Amino acid sequence: MTALRLVGKYGLRIAALIAIAGLASGVLARYAPGAVADERELDPRLRAESVAALRAEAEASHSLPAFLGHYVRGLIHMDLGFSRSQNAPVRELIADRCGTTLRGLLLALAGGFSIGLGLAIPAARFRRALVYDTSCAVLAGILLSVPAALLAYVCLMAGASSTVVLLLVLTPRIFLFSRNLLAQGYGAAHVHMARARGVGELRILVAHVVRPASGPMLAVAAAAASIGIGACIPIEAICDTAGLGRLAWQAAMARDLPLLVNLTVIVALVTTSAMAVAESLAPQEARS
Amino acid sequence: MSRLRVAALSVLALVTLAAMLAPFWARSSYEVQFRETPDARPSWKFPLGTDALGRDRLTRLAYGTRVSLLLAPAAALLTCLEAAVLGGIAGFAGGRIRSIILFAADLFLTLPWLFLLIAVRACLPLNTSPELSVAITFVLLGALGWAAPARIVCAAVAKLRQSDFILQARAMGCSRARLLMRHLIPNVAPVLLAQIWIAIPVYILAEATLGMLGLGVAEPLPSLGSILRDLQGANLVAEPWQLAPAVVLAVLAGAFQLVLPREDYSV
Repeated sequence: MTALRLVGKYGLRIAALIAIAGLASGVLARYAPGAVADERELDPRLRAESVAALRAEAEASHSLPAFLGHYVRGLIHMDLGFSRSQNAPVRELIADRCGTTLRGLLLALAGGFSIGLGLAIPAARFRRALVYDTSCAVLAGILLSVPAALLAYVCLMAGASSTVVLLLVLTPRIFLFSRNLLAQGYGAAHVHMARARGVGELRILVAHVVRPASGPMLAVAAAAASIGIGACIPIEAICDTAGLGRLAWQAAMARDLPLLVNLTVIVALVTTSAMAVAESLAPQEARS
Repeated sequence: MSRLRVAALSVLALVTLAAMLAPFWARSSYEVQFRETPDARPSWKFPLGTDALGRDRLTRLAYGTRVSLLLAPAAALLTCLEAAVLGGIAGFAGGRIRSIILFAADLFLTLPWLFLLIAVRACLPLNTSPELSVAITFVLLGALGWAAPARIVCAAVAKLRQSDFILQARAMGCSRARLLMRHLIPNVAPVLLAQIWIAIPVYILAEATLGMLGLGVAEPLPSLGSILRDLQGANLVAEPWQLAPAVVLAVLAGAFQLVLPREDYSV
């Protein structure tokens, strides 16, 4: 029953957030300057009546209530609308590109956690190894001080893929969060007691340091996923990767209402779900 | 204060001074073109060379840094003002008002801020003047970043509301306005100050990202982002001096991060 209530609570919250996010992006794109402008109007061969007809058609197709009504009806039949700027159904565009972005994001998250945790465990365990800790912190600080777009450009010049850029964006954040969490774990009184009683370092790490930190680590994973999705936009735009990030960038530039609303809904769905999973799995005291 | 923080503050002071005094030491204004020397290599006259339009790179870098150093703190101040008002109301009022404000904060936190920023910035007019575009960019940064600081302020105010001295003040008949002005806001001020320091480098980097994507400050006004955009056609191995804006940006952002009081993790 409690699990059902939890699912219901998070489900309602996610649904409300997604609905508002979709509506807000629709309003934004609809009322943006030039949203109803049609490139065909620039054709000098068209008469004034034809231009007026084009404008009327654009006004009708950009009516927000009509668009939202049509969108919800289409959604029931899994029809996400048609992208004017890409000249293709939105469903096809998203289906073609989401694999690239999700694969890159998952690989970067897995790599980020492997490298970040791999560096954080010795830094937290051997707190007197100042040179190692400072070197890692300086490297993380440098990476955090460079915008994702610039990292993407440098990696592009070096021939690295967008996944590597995403890895460079996520790893320093994961390293810093996990180093602080693990250092707190290693500093706990029961860990000193366990060590004094001769418990092995591996067991201390797994049972007494990592396990209590697993809740906050999940929150870090959710936050990293959200940061990764945001960073995908400049990275994919600069690296010219055919993913959802570049599609979002193109939709924003072209003010493509159907594409922008669908992408907003997808991004909101992924990030809220990640946050909800992390929040529901986190220990009770952390939630309160 | 640690040596690292002193060093970071010194670097910040130096860069700020150089950027603010740019009109006095720069050879020309940022938009002046030396048409006989486009794409010039570094020389005594142009220490960082010139760009494709023959503009002095060093002058543009100084003016661009000035834009970021003036407007990023202003945007951070705007963010913290919003956070103070909304987070303060949420924490002080509690109940449904708190739920509504925190739900709105969740909404802003749900969408990655860069996605939100690009969507909002892309929907604004493209034919704006450079001065207006720079104002729009930083006002947007300031306006959209309120959610995370507001949650922190809300938690701080809610905690303070339960504290003994506030309960005593309420029991003594202290009015809500006095409670807010004399007791709550002064006690939340350090939290807000920390949020301003956190927000400044974030906004400097955000402007750089927007600028590199062509959605930042309009030409000819320079900003760190718009100057970095020139890198896209550059051969960095043959012309390493073109990395100077990236180095300045990294130094600035890094120095701001170092100035923040470190969270003590060495328990």
